[in-house]
Amino acid sequence: MTDRELHRTDTGDDWLDGLLRADGREHRAAYADDNGFTARLMAALPAPAALPAWRKPALAALWASAGIGIAVALPGAVFDVAHGMLRAILGQPVSFTGIAAAVAALGAATWAAAAIALRDD
Amino acid sequence: MSEPALTDAQLIARAVIHDDRHAFSELVRRHQSAVRTTLRRLTMGNHALADDLAQETFLLAYRNLGSFRQEARFSTWLYRIATNAFLADARKRREEPLGDRDADVADGTAADAEPLDSGGPDPARAASLRLDMDRALAVLSEAERAAIVQCYHNDLSHEEAAQVLNCPVGTVKTHILRAKLKLKARLAAWAPL
Repeated sequence: MTDRELHRTDTGDDWLDGLLRADGREHRAAYADDNGFTARLMAALPAPAALPAWRKPALAALWASAGIGIAVALPGAVFDVAHGMLRAILGQPVSFTGIAAAVAALGAATWAAAAIALRDD
Repeated sequence: MSEPALTDAQLIARAVIHDDRHAFSELVRRHQSAVRTTLRRLTMGNHALADDLAQETFLLAYRNLGSFRQEARFSTWLYRIATNAFLADARKRREEPLGDRDADVADGTAADAEPLDSGGPDPARAASLRLDMDRALAVLSEAERAAIVQCYHNDLSHEEAAQVLNCPVGTVKTHILRAKLKLKARLAAWAPL
């Protein structure tokens, strides 16, 4: 005997269980029409948390200043890293012009990605 | 071909991760009837109060959706919030004069006086039984009524009812037993001879 069956028969009052079962069946069969309940509830929900308007420009400025800071602090590092990466990728010595072109392409791609990421939804 | 309906778990994930209000409104649409009819039963047919408590229930569910661990069915979780809201409201109202509450109960009884499937073909008998059942349920304590509603009306097991009522299974059984003793005395006229 399942627990659901047990809780209906443990007093031995079958007639009372019958009445409660009938009442329960009617309750489960009843459907409360929405009648605008869902719409009223959705209107009562708290407003979505909006990010402050200055957040995106502030974030962009922060990243830009961080980038400039690193470039100023380590003037040779950017060139050395780019040089090393290109040599590893191409497997041959590269010229300064080639590195400059690659850095320019990388910068353009970064700017494009940043523009997409920071666009208004 | 129409898109298959999303499960409750999928809708909950959308609502939590993407703050998808359309997904949450679908959850409300699915469960509003069960929650509201349960609260109508708990409040003895006071539809206005039941809808207020149902709104409170879904607002609380929305705020705490991220903490729902899917260990129980979503409906069971909602019943738990709804029952807590009902019991908290009942505690507040206990200090108020009884006159208004009696009027609410009487109004609700009249509004809910739909035919009850009592096994007999006589609609007058069914209506009379429904009235007596409502009156009998009204004499139960809130906790006893909540136990009866969860086990008989929402067809939950003792374990599920214990989760909803936030109490041990033994307490649920005690509430049911006490409630039945009171109902037996109140509904004695319906006992077979």
